[in-house]
Amino acid sequence: MSDTTGSRMRLTVLGGYLGSGKTTWLRHQLHVGRFGPVHVVVNEAAETSVDDILLATASGLTLLAGGCCCCVGRQDLITALRHLCDLRSQVTSTDARLNRIILETSGLADPGAIVSTIQGDPVLINHIVIDEVLVVVDALHGLAQLSSEPLGRHQIGAADRLILSKSDVADPAALTLLRATLRGLNPAAPQSAAILGEDVALDQLPPEIQAAPLPPLSDEETRGPIFPACVTVGDALDWSLFAVWLSALLHARGNDLVRIKGVVRTPAGRLLLQTVRKVVQSPEILPERVDLGEDGKIVFIGRGFRAEDLQRSLDHFINPTR
Amino acid sequence: MCNACGNPAVPGHWTDAGAATPGDRLRARFQRAALLNKILRPYGLSAYDDGVVPGVQLSTLSGSTTIVPDLGSLWAEAERLIGFPIDPLNAAFLDV
Repeated sequence: MSDTTGSRMRLTVLGGYLGSGKTTWLRHQLHVGRFGPVHVVVNEAAETSVDDILLATASGLTLLAGGCCCCVGRQDLITALRHLCDLRSQVTSTDARLNRIILETSGLADPGAIVSTIQGDPVLINHIVIDEVLVVVDALHGLAQLSSEPLGRHQIGAADRLILSKSDVADPAALTLLRATLRGLNPAAPQSAAILGEDVALDQLPPEIQAAPLPPLSDEETRGPIFPACVTVGDALDWSLFAVWLSALLHARGNDLVRIKGVVRTPAGRLLLQTVRKVVQSPEILPERVDLGEDGKIVFIGRGFRAEDLQRSLDHFINPTR
Repeated sequence: MCNACGNPAVPGHWTDAGAATPGDRLRARFQRAALLNKILRPYGLSAYDDGVVPGVQLSTLSGSTTIVPDLGSLWAEAERLIGFPIDPLNAAFLDV
């Protein structure tokens, strides 16, 4: 797999609720050159757009206005990305080729749906590998959005990394509560803070801080709350057998499994595995030195099952006695 | 994909990751087919992978066979054939 990810473009998805500070963050990152030469795709749910003016420092910019690209604007997104792939294929020198795209989603987009759109497209999957899903969280209003909006929770669940914006103006106690709540919704995503796009240090979150109680949203009431569970995959377990189990689990329970993340040992090296609902991101071979927690421990975040059943199911599924 | 021979194979399904050499890939395919057969047998299905034809051949007891390109499609096809998804969290897989 590493040979196929190597030549593809890396795509970073930047999501977050309306007004959370996505453009501000991205603008500063482009200014300091964090991503290097990059093509920015901006999606706006509204017809009129201002973000494209603010992001003029990118090496290229595509604007998709008038439809959120996780739902009504999906076809526009595919067309725009295919066009970028086309342009890139016409460049013969590997040095001059575009290697990174940043997709700034609209505030109403579910990043999980966008990832599945890209991975479900037969052309794009051969040209683009999803690098990371960053979600910006408004430190002032984040908690209120999480309590009332299912979308806000979906965005948090889909994140690889959470960036807290406006952390300087938020009350420290409220900020701690928000961070604990975010940890409860997505324990696998590391949190960082930024003020007007500039990174600032965050204190270590004490483990005893309780998450704020979030009222159940209508579609959740019957299916119970989202909780994290952990499955241990020993060194002795063959990855190919684990993949059989996981693919069956995702097929049957994918809609309940908001997120899976972990590192497993395979013959090719350490493999970073992550999923958003039914969609598995292209697994990536990690260098030995990158530390993402303990190998062989896989975190499942979801609902509708008992945490202890996952491990039992894995053990029995790959050693069937029937 | 051609329904008779399975070519051309779709590159890079996630379940194929983690095998760097052709030997590893082949070993993984055989191991996978052996496990799939044990899982699918109670449902009246069988899986066959000869290591040459891309994908897995999924057959019913009456012999009708479909080539599925990857494990994701295999579970979907199995659900179509038996009428419900094979759920690893089903009690049948949890009991010893």
